[in-house]
Amino acid sequence: MKIGLFVPCYVNAIYPDVGIATYKLLNYFGLDVHYPVEQTCCGQPMANAGFENKAFGLAMKFEKTFKKYDYIVAPSASCTAFVRYNYLSIMTDEYIPDANEKIYDVCEFIHDFVKPAKLPGRFPHKVSVHNSCHGVRELELSSASELNIVRYSKIKNLLSLVEGVEIFEPAKVDECCGFGGMFAVEESAVSVCMGEDKINNHVATGAEYITGADSSCLMHLQGIVARKKLPVKFIHIVQILASGL
Amino acid sequence: MSSKQDIIKNLHRSSKLIFPMPEITVEAVKFDDPVAGFLEISRFVGGDAVVLNEGDDINALIRSLYPDAEKIASNLPEITIASFNPDETDDPHNLNGVELAIVKGELGVAENGCVWIPQNVRQKALYFISENLVIILDKNKIVNNMHEAYEYVAGNGDYGFGVFISGPSKTADIEQALVIGAHGAKSVRVIIGNLS
Amino acid sequence: MSTKHAKAAQRFISNREQEQWHNETLWFVRQKRDNMTMRIPEWEKLRDLAAKIKTHTIDDLIHYLETFSEAAESNGAIVHWAKDAQEHNEIVYGILKQHQVKKLVKSKSMLTEECLLNPYLIERGIEVVESDLGERILQLMGEHPSHIVMPAIHKKREEVGKLFEEKMDSEKGNSDPTYLTHTARKYLRNEFLTADAAMTGANFGIAQTGEVVVCTNEGNADMGTSLSKLHIVSMGIEKIIPDLASLSVFVRLLARSATGQPSTTYTSHYRRPIEGGEMHIVIVDNGRSSIQNTTGRDQILRCIRCGACMNTCPVYRRSGGYSYTYFIPGPIGINLGMLKSPKQHSDNLSACSLCFSCNNVCPAKIDLAGQIYRWRQQLDSFHKASTSKKLISQGMTFIFNRPDLYRVLLKMAPLINRLPRFLVYNRLNAWGYGRELPRFANESFNSMWRKGKIQKDNQ
Repeated sequence: MKIGLFVPCYVNAIYPDVGIATYKLLNYFGLDVHYPVEQTCCGQPMANAGFENKAFGLAMKFEKTFKKYDYIVAPSASCTAFVRYNYLSIMTDEYIPDANEKIYDVCEFIHDFVKPAKLPGRFPHKVSVHNSCHGVRELELSSASELNIVRYSKIKNLLSLVEGVEIFEPAKVDECCGFGGMFAVEESAVSVCMGEDKINNHVATGAEYITGADSSCLMHLQGIVARKKLPVKFIHIVQILASGL
Repeated sequence: MSSKQDIIKNLHRSSKLIFPMPEITVEAVKFDDPVAGFLEISRFVGGDAVVLNEGDDINALIRSLYPDAEKIASNLPEITIASFNPDETDDPHNLNGVELAIVKGELGVAENGCVWIPQNVRQKALYFISENLVIILDKNKIVNNMHEAYEYVAGNGDYGFGVFISGPSKTADIEQALVIGAHGAKSVRVIIGNLS
Repeated sequence: MSTKHAKAAQRFISNREQEQWHNETLWFVRQKRDNMTMRIPEWEKLRDLAAKIKTHTIDDLIHYLETFSEAAESNGAIVHWAKDAQEHNEIVYGILKQHQVKKLVKSKSMLTEECLLNPYLIERGIEVVESDLGERILQLMGEHPSHIVMPAIHKKREEVGKLFEEKMDSEKGNSDPTYLTHTARKYLRNEFLTADAAMTGANFGIAQTGEVVVCTNEGNADMGTSLSKLHIVSMGIEKIIPDLASLSVFVRLLARSATGQPSTTYTSHYRRPIEGGEMHIVIVDNGRSSIQNTTGRDQILRCIRCGACMNTCPVYRRSGGYSYTYFIPGPIGINLGMLKSPKQHSDNLSACSLCFSCNNVCPAKIDLAGQIYRWRQQLDSFHKASTSKKLISQGMTFIFNRPDLYRVLLKMAPLINRLPRFLVYNRLNAWGYGRELPRFANESFNSMWRKGKIQKDNQ
């Protein structure tokens, strides 16, 4: 089983440690992981802004880059959701993609396929889980608060495998943080307002860290925290899961 | 061409395969004791429901609930405390100022406190214009949910007008503050008894 | 790059206290909805059924419209067909004129808002009285609704108190909602008693029986229609559902989704005219029949106007109903506006972070966010795409199509960290509004992998 690691553009440049933690984890489970160096971006930013035609070329490139792998694993719920749910409609009728069938967010991949009983290391901290929109409502990493379904959270299940972690969740448990790609700049006032509200809810839990499966949300929130100089830290969930590696 | 034909023609243009009508079978909420369920939800929606026990006098019960009411309208022969029969009024405007109307409901719904009233008074205004409303309901006619209710409504006769009433008239249009008594009855009480 | 919506939203947020009140109040309605729906184990099944019933009905609308109108006519109602707003208004005015109506009392109808009926009638000398409390407040203020279920949600009690002092002679300085509501009750009671005709919208038209169903909490639709001999119903073609069994599904969904109530206080079924009176049903198209089914757009016709998508929408809650260019705001309004006129209402498309919460609360399971995403794809062809967004997208595409260039830029990115603040944080940088830029890592993942650093550490 060959796994192609996809490290999204902004993770690559800003949060390489998230990519490294993902690699470490998969490697720790004895999986055959490779990072194809010619990868760039999945095309989501352009498509969400209304330029699917520009995303098309990138999607084709993405397909080609990951053709030889059985699975694609990425530390980003949002990018994973985009590839899974939008590639089919982006492609022309002549080409049927397969990246959409084999891409997984690293959390769901570990939770659903690897199913570890325990993870090494300790992370003796209070963390507040950031349930990102695309993680919750597209990848179904946890039960969406609007739906009358059995409550679950793959994120919390995974975190509880690490010794010492105290898990919290904010009020309005899966309300959007206001990132939304180009939304963050096109509607900057609303975006920042949503982000501030979100941070207040996270901080109110008493957590030291805000963690989640989407670095893009965390980047936006971190920008606000940095501006306001608030005493809360950010960490991607894979970094906690890999804390003993 | 008439506008109707225009609209139909336009709809034809976009017609396609017709998605099939689903079968409406719902395993819907059921109550071990629908009467108890009805009593609880009636309070929740701002109304009230009381059980008339064997041997209780319905007129005395209503009087105890509305001790000061004078202008009381009812077309029910058993309601002796009524001060007049509203069916004798030709003009519904004359019903303005009725303090209490006492009417019969045909079916209660335990999931939401609704009572089905197919028009059973001459002026339907009575249900809404009266300051307070008492609905008398047979305790054997309380169903679990709206699916059962509409099955009953569909199978039980024609009506020119019918209404489900659940609690008193209300609004929250000013700052979402709930206020009872917008335009219709300020209080609605359902009296549940063995009427069969 | 900011749209009309973005600018209006920024103004709304500048009054942070009011924004927070609006946000939290609507969130409270969302919570009431959640509490109510979680008590119904079959909730998701109901939503699924509702979506299917509506899809079926819209696909076979010709049949159901014919069935409905025949049944309604045999009940003694008079059915009219209006292909657009103008014809709708002419029909309504014609009926009123024929009956020499001086005063018309209305209950809430978004369709008559859509058709701009009130100004049309007022110009022609008819006194029009909105009787829903929220609608009446706005009518007296000369404003229009900012929410489809809670029309005056943007008004504070003090503003209403002041208005009532002036218009209803209420006590000076008394802004207690109970007092104000009861003042309006007395005042509007008189309007009901002196009206010559009543008008309602329709929540549902039942094809099999030809009856119209109207849901209210205040009882205003019934006060109006039981005191006047003349009842005019204004109903969009998409309001038709097959039968009472279908209605049972929608009635269970509507109030729970809208306000978190198990039912509206009144669910009124109008089948025949009042004794000695007339009932007219105006069936209105106004563009609905032209909605194409190719890209799933016709699913918007499933909407039952509960407003749940607005209450959950994080953008609507923080920007208010007036920040949208269309008269219906929020996720459903963005879509309806685009269906009405893409050129006029494309500025609303920015008001969505694609969080998909609206999809999950929608009782008819409309893919509201997905449709917004699809509309964004078409902006460029209307020449309505934001130039800067297009440039950014083009630039990003240019880079991402060239892995070598991407690698070079990844390497150079950390230099941005060292730029002077004034170069980075200025009016041109919308990110810098309230946020610091992220700091680029000294070395990218890509570079480390190429050098074998990551693999070596983990062997």
